[in-house]
Amino acid sequence: MMASPDQNHPDSLSEDNCWVALTSSPLEIQSVVDRVRSPQAGAIVLFAGTTRDSFEGKTVVDLRYEAYAPLALRSMLDIACKVKERHGLKGVAMVHRLGVVPVGEESILIAVSSPHRQAAWRAGEEALEECKARVEVWKREEFADGEGVWRANRDGQAGERVG
Amino acid sequence: MPPKPPPGHFNILYFASAGQYTSKSVEVLPAPLPLRDLFAELERRYNGIRASADEEAAEGEGVVIQEGDEVAIIPPVSSG
Repeated sequence: MMASPDQNHPDSLSEDNCWVALTSSPLEIQSVVDRVRSPQAGAIVLFAGTTRDSFEGKTVVDLRYEAYAPLALRSMLDIACKVKERHGLKGVAMVHRLGVVPVGEESILIAVSSPHRQAAWRAGEEALEECKARVEVWKREEFADGEGVWRANRDGQAGERVG
Repeated sequence: MPPKPPPGHFNILYFASAGQYTSKSVEVLPAPLPLRDLFAELERRYNGIRASADEEAAEGEGVVIQEGDEVAIIPPVSSG
């Protein structure tokens, strides 16, 4: 099946029970879980990344994300399909929120379903780490003192300042 | 998506720290331009942008950016 856009989600791609999307709306946990639901699955693992209110002791008032959307969606779909294949999953869904994300809200959701839980746990973690390593999305933290910083997730380390 | 560039030009997109450095998210540059000359052209316009964007060697020996192309400056990513 070719990757195809979704009528209700113009900024999405899907292929072979893998679904990925970018949205500026608040993320919906239930709908992402439902995308991977399967009668052949004995486990669904969901990761919800939420925006933190501090960075090294400085107060973060909100976060803003931007994406190179066409490329980011293709990278997300590639990660989802490869993780599904590697772990024999039934489905993978990943959605990243863009624009301003108030502190404490979800910025990314990843759901995976699998016949057995071990594969689902591992696959969920792998999908997130690969996403952080290479999906073309950037995070900016706006601090209480008025400063703003674009972050970089390098080598799985805590984000560092760039620019 | 940015508008189509005028004849004889290509679009260049600046994301995150690169956009902060240039104070714009997109502009047009004259085409054709060999890819290996892109950063020299950008440095001429925005002195220091190379370090800001943390440029890694662009792949594609012999690639020439053509009229109507879209090129993006992609700083180190930070999703999640």
